[in-house]
Amino acid sequence: VPNYIDKQLAGAWGTGERLYRSGPWQPGTPKQGYQLPLTPAELFHTALRAINQELSQTPFAQMSSDQQDEYLKSLEGGGKDLGGVPGDVFFTHLWECTLEGFFSDPVYGGNRNMVSWRMIGFPGAYASYYDLVDQHGIKIDRSPTSLAEDVHGRVHMNPNIPARSP
Amino acid sequence: MVQRLKPVDVVTIGVELTGSLAALELAKEGLTIVGLERGAARFTVPDFQSPAIHDELRFSIRKGMMQDNTKVAVTFRNNWNETALPIRRWESFLPGQGLGGSFVHWNGQSFRAQVADFIYKTHHEQPPSTIEPYKHCGSMTAGRQCTMKSPSRTGGRPGRKPSDGSLNWGFRQRTRALTKVKT
Repeated sequence: VPNYIDKQLAGAWGTGERLYRSGPWQPGTPKQGYQLPLTPAELFHTALRAINQELSQTPFAQMSSDQQDEYLKSLEGGGKDLGGVPGDVFFTHLWECTLEGFFSDPVYGGNRNMVSWRMIGFPGAYASYYDLVDQHGIKIDRSPTSLAEDVHGRVHMNPNIPARSP
Repeated sequence: MVQRLKPVDVVTIGVELTGSLAALELAKEGLTIVGLERGAARFTVPDFQSPAIHDELRFSIRKGMMQDNTKVAVTFRNNWNETALPIRRWESFLPGQGLGGSFVHWNGQSFRAQVADFIYKTHHEQPPSTIEPYKHCGSMTAGRQCTMKSPSRTGGRPGRKPSDGSLNWGFRQRTRALTKVKT
């Protein structure tokens, strides 16, 4: 997952591709969505810098799991300011990136060997279920397949998948 | 420099659901058509080819087929008292671009029409005879299954014109079937 997040932040998404970044700037209601002037990469860096400063006594990595949970909950609850980034906004981004990294296709750098798909029994990118459409109540327990492999199990990395660009 | 192109009979502004269906029908009549669409051209192969098309992160999460917010921005508010702010990333609605427009990632939910919907529609809004010539147009072209059955009056097979020339809807048969289940 950290590998996935690093790649995303350094790639097109992290640098604000398809993110409208002109004014007017003002905090909106939650229903108006993201309204900060920061790209995802800037948002992560700003918030992490503030967190490192705040936790300079006991860095996050050295806390006990209970303390870590408690700290994450304090971020999630909102009200915390991380160098201009509201704590809950950062928490939402971190949470979404974690989910994406763990569950997205391995071509994006997380979910190594499709470990999460095996865990939940997700078959991945099968092309067609034509022969199964009218069969109900059967168990689908074939091993998962990634976007990068064909029906013969050979891997063909598609250079057009954005996350693979450096 | 302005380039004068060969004149055509029809130009459609946009080549998505409406534009492409209109163009198809007009082409069947023998007219020459040019369709204008912004964004990339997309074709079944390779753009919709498996497995790349099953990329949930790229298309569903990152909205890979939608308009680029940095080029097309709209503001949004929920009521008069709010200040309208830009939609910086698409969330609640998803305008598309490129060949096929919003239609290629059409994500509306179309619930199967109930018997009552057909009855209501028949009696209160649109007489079946006005839909008849067009009813297959969208469903056939888009390759979707049409839930609207052909008028079949006397309980005959849908799609067959009743011999007495009157019009009826397939739902009558279904109405009877449903009643039977209930009793």
